[in-house]
Amino acid sequence: MTRSLITLIALAALALPVSAQAQSRDTDTKTVNIVGTAPVMCFAGTLSGTGSYDLGVLIDTTSGQLRSDLSAPAQVLVGSFCTGRSTITVSATPLEAQNFTATPPSGFARRVDYTATASGWTVTPASYQTAAASNTAATQSRPTSFSGDVTVAISGFATTGGQNLRLVADGDYRGLVTVTIAAVN
Amino acid sequence: MRALTLVVLAGAAFASPALAQSTPNAQNLPVTGRVPQLCSLQQGTITPGGLNNIAGLDGDTLRIIQFTDPSTLSVRAASATISFDAVCNFPHSVRIESQNNGMWPVDGRVSDRPQGFAYAVPYTADISWGPVNTQFSADAKVRSTSQQVIVINDPVAGEFSLRIRIEDGASNVETRAPLVAGTYVDTVRIFLEPR
Repeated sequence: MTRSLITLIALAALALPVSAQAQSRDTDTKTVNIVGTAPVMCFAGTLSGTGSYDLGVLIDTTSGQLRSDLSAPAQVLVGSFCTGRSTITVSATPLEAQNFTATPPSGFARRVDYTATASGWTVTPASYQTAAASNTAATQSRPTSFSGDVTVAISGFATTGGQNLRLVADGDYRGLVTVTIAAVN
Repeated sequence: MRALTLVVLAGAAFASPALAQSTPNAQNLPVTGRVPQLCSLQQGTITPGGLNNIAGLDGDTLRIIQFTDPSTLSVRAASATISFDAVCNFPHSVRIESQNNGMWPVDGRVSDRPQGFAYAVPYTADISWGPVNTQFSADAKVRSTSQQVIVINDPVAGEFSLRIRIEDGASNVETRAPLVAGTYVDTVRIFLEPR
């Protein structure tokens, strides 16, 4: 019953234009533009593992100077993507003693500099040196859309002020690496 | 025709929230580490030009060349300055300890003390460490362990200097008293430790 009613309505609709055309001309054209916008979307991925770098004991326990073999496993931003042109930017803050906040006495330091690198997104990895006055390589551009993993590593540790300085005792040294993937309009 | 127009407008309306998702997307990765409390004192070395009547540092031993004057049998002056590379990366204390409170006969005999003779030798130890310059005295009055503690309120790194000095004629009785025959020793210990 329902199907029959729908059919009737459709036939009536078809009958009407034919009647109208007969009263004017036999051909007409209208253009309908359909526009849709796909915005550039970026996602900086999901952190694999701990999503942090735990360097453990920073000093050689004989000399008190920064360990020369400091390292931490690289972290991966899994499934990062950008649907258009983009930039990747890495920035970092030095490892800094959180409790010993005074100016260290002669022969000591309370900061450790390092280099943070984000690779996999651009041909030239984005890198940031916490000791540098400017970091021209911190932002790298990609002209095309991309989907993949970004590997973020830290290396090149050095005591701020010179390798001969000792680090003041502090159970909490902290720094931060930030990776930003941004659309370019 | 009108219906189609409405569909396009709806598409435009959806575009604005979608564009908002193109804002930068960031990840923060903390970096952590720790520096434990550390005091370290390396092997000592004789400071150049710092020896007087002492052969040198043989391991951990200072050996006096001529302990007494052959004509008076009183003690001859002797001194040595020893430097240690050291570090304490936190506020700490220095403790200097003399095992015998002076140089005493190695065999420990106490019965052989003829009148007018010395049977122990006092000395001093000058300490230079960071902001501190002080003197420790092992006066040889009583044979026992003696010590001095110095509080340091800052981390210190550099050279720990120890100058051992025996005065000419040093004696635990009268100055320039002749010394009873024997081998005299003492052990000085330096501790860098938490306060």
